[in-house]
Amino acid sequence: MKPENARGVPLKDEDLKTGKVLTTEWRVKADYAWDCGIAIGRYLDGLKEGKIMATRCRRCRRTVVPPRVFCEWCFKPMDEWVEVRDTGRVNTFSVSFYSWDMTPLEKPEVPAIVEIDGCSPGVGFMHLLGEVGDNLEEILRRVKVGMKVRAVWKPADQRTGAITDILYFKPEEE
Amino acid sequence: MGKIDRVGRIRTLHGDMGVWHKYTFGLAGERFFRALAEKGVLLASRCEACRKTYLPPKVYCPACFAELTVWAELPPRGYVETYTFLYEDLEENRLTEPVAVAFITFPGVDGGLVHRLGEVRPEEVCSGLEVEAVLAAERSGGLQDILYFRPSRE
Repeated sequence: MKPENARGVPLKDEDLKTGKVLTTEWRVKADYAWDCGIAIGRYLDGLKEGKIMATRCRRCRRTVVPPRVFCEWCFKPMDEWVEVRDTGRVNTFSVSFYSWDMTPLEKPEVPAIVEIDGCSPGVGFMHLLGEVGDNLEEILRRVKVGMKVRAVWKPADQRTGAITDILYFKPEEE
Repeated sequence: MGKIDRVGRIRTLHGDMGVWHKYTFGLAGERFFRALAEKGVLLASRCEACRKTYLPPKVYCPACFAELTVWAELPPRGYVETYTFLYEDLEENRLTEPVAVAFITFPGVDGGLVHRLGEVRPEEVCSGLEVEAVLAAERSGGLQDILYFRPSRE
């Protein structure tokens, strides 16, 4: 009584594309607007001007980026805004052969956590490294944890107030 | 720290989540929509033991789990079981004309189809209304091959 193909029907991508099996498609309309809040709003305004803005807690002697409106150590409001430098050091990195939307990449991307100069130790954000080679061997030869990097910005007239206003971080001479 | 005193300057990020899907109909759905596209008929599958006829068809009987091997072609004519009127589209835009949507059952069959009604005045729509499918001239294998159901003319 076991039906034919009881264990399922293997389908390949081309079976869907060539119409071997019928399909129905749906594209969910999922537009959104996300309110950045006070701190991230000012951070993004800063990026548009080519500045990395951080907040400082005087009680905890901590400077953090991305900025927040309260210190998550003491829960007090952050005391002041400071502009930090657009240089830093690689805290950790990865080599990715897929883009954010799972597109396979010819040239791998190098996402990294960059500790920003002027912030407290260990504080920074994730971005991409660039000018570090086109293949895995080159990248692993050139990128080291702790290496100094500098932001490469979009031209001022093309910035939109987004983290992508920084194109990537590139190696900086010590 | 700043208070929000310039509401117009609150920054928002805009995006579109790339959520989309391609759904295959399965073994029974594939046969159902091929029959609809090629012959303009509705395909049902029958379980003799449970005396049930499924439309849309199934490969297994949900009552006894037996494989269903008896298939029947039905003309796309049935009755309105229940109905409603839609006044907005999927994106909540007001429609100029309300759209009647009905659950349509077929004689001797368990189950049925949800589809639009057309060529009918709203006050004519009622439970028990006899309806027939208006098929698309070009059919591709999908529920869109039925444009809508209209009051039966036979």
